[in-house]
Amino acid sequence: MNNIITVTLYTLREAFARKVFIFFFAVVMLVLVGFGVFASLVKLDDLMKGAMVIDPQEALRQIVSRIEWLIISPIYGLGLLLSIFSCSSFIPSMLEKGNIDLLLSKPVSRSQLLLGKYFGGILVVFLNISILVIGIWLIILVKFSIVSFALLFAILTITFSFAVLYSIIMLFGVISGNSMLGMMLSYLIYLIISPVLASRSVWFQFLQSDVAKKVITFFYYILPKTAEIDKFTSALVLNQPVSNYQPLYSSFIFLALMVGLSIYVFENKDF
Amino acid sequence: MYSIEIQNLTKIYSPGHPKKEVKALNDFNMTVPQGSIFGLLGPNGAGKTTLVKILLGITYPTSGDIKLLGHDKFDYTIKKRIGYLPENHKFPLYLTGQDVMKFYGRLSGLSGSELDKKIDDLLGLMDLSKWKKTKVRTYSKGMMQRLGLAQSMLNDPDLIFLDEPTDGVDPIGRKEIRDILISLKERNKTIFINSHLLSEVELISDRAGILNKGILLKECTVKELTSNLEEYTINVDGMLEGILPQAIIEEFKVQRTAEGEYSAVVKESMDINTLVDAIRNNNITLKEISLRKKSLEDVFINLINKAEKGETI
Repeated sequence: MNNIITVTLYTLREAFARKVFIFFFAVVMLVLVGFGVFASLVKLDDLMKGAMVIDPQEALRQIVSRIEWLIISPIYGLGLLLSIFSCSSFIPSMLEKGNIDLLLSKPVSRSQLLLGKYFGGILVVFLNISILVIGIWLIILVKFSIVSFALLFAILTITFSFAVLYSIIMLFGVISGNSMLGMMLSYLIYLIISPVLASRSVWFQFLQSDVAKKVITFFYYILPKTAEIDKFTSALVLNQPVSNYQPLYSSFIFLALMVGLSIYVFENKDF
Repeated sequence: MYSIEIQNLTKIYSPGHPKKEVKALNDFNMTVPQGSIFGLLGPNGAGKTTLVKILLGITYPTSGDIKLLGHDKFDYTIKKRIGYLPENHKFPLYLTGQDVMKFYGRLSGLSGSELDKKIDDLLGLMDLSKWKKTKVRTYSKGMMQRLGLAQSMLNDPDLIFLDEPTDGVDPIGRKEIRDILISLKERNKTIFINSHLLSEVELISDRAGILNKGILLKECTVKELTSNLEEYTINVDGMLEGILPQAIIEEFKVQRTAEGEYSAVVKESMDINTLVDAIRNNNITLKEISLRKKSLEDVFINLINKAEKGETI
């Protein structure tokens, strides 16, 4: 466990040194400043105008939920895009000749090394997303005096979505030794495949073939569901009831499979 | 007691792919006694680095058995007793010398004041104390090499693998590294060196092996390796051909090199007396005899050439 923690912390340090963290942090600050300016321009009275005010506090809560949803949805997208881009080089850099030889010569198991790097990438994203979401949460608290803990769950769901996509980057990084293939696949899944599969019921209307429908359904269940986790996050922020947790656990199974495969490939690879 | 025991070790890269298949090691057998310095020599691509990587579990063997420090089943925890300086190692350039040592020290299972003291001692030993808070991206090749050597000794290993340890180090630094290695040997540590620098290996190794195309051509003490081929230059009045018995000429490989000058090769130093007696018994005046001891480099080139020609070694 100590070895995993050491590698994780030094990956965080690598992120600082490669300016990954600073870049991420700068974007986070920019978003926070933008949101702060927006919040300062919003007048509560104007917001409440036209609302059927039976319970002013509840009405305000609803309005604030909407604002949170408006900001969290793009943050989910932007956060994932930035995270994938920023962290994709961690695994290939570890595998560089001269570096991996030294690491593998130490009394550390290969799985500990890989997991340390994986958790390191997740930690970088978790910290930045935490700063961003907590910053927004604080601005809302100060401006509207509303304590909305639901917003904080977005930290976990965004980090989880990243962890799922990062597992793909890790597997292809271990296999190929570079980040490009994994990065492209992650973007493909996140931007195209997952949204398309999430709306498969729409596509089914145009498909006659049962086989094609079964194939699409098969891929829907085995691939990660980042588009639906986005919807799940929005529902949490809007305080809407969530009944379907399938996208979360099936994505987790996918993550576990990718991590397991990565470890297997890494354990058996010659360097 | 052996620190390294290797039996029938074979490594084939891309097996089953006729175009890509490379036999890096071929039925390799070797032992390295505890408390000795072993030098492995070989041209580029001979399989030296592959061998070390297999011993460290960085690369997997195709077949064969390995015993390290008496353990026959390779377990990563045995690396607590092993140090390694790879060729062309890459440290994280954003770290300082001290941080590099801390990182690898922690991975070696060290922590706290024990690690701090170890780092200070080793950086002092390598003459890097002044640079410990400087980022390694500014280090010279020689400083990187010394830092690499320092990190390989962090866990006070019983067995150290050094791949080209003096690469890029100036002559004074080389001497210092040699002294450090000798002092480690005196503490019963086993040192395994891969090197192109034959003279370096000759200076400090107890035993040496010559590897070519994955085959161990020869393995013995450095003294045996070089003394086997002592060559003498003999100056005489007259000629040896036709006067000395043919058996003697063949035994000592007597060859004329100039007018009145011959070369002769003896296996053991004592054997030269036989040749001198033969010359005197045949009433040939011996004017001068001088030893031209072959260096490890001569032996190395000779063996590699023989192997390339397919001659028996």
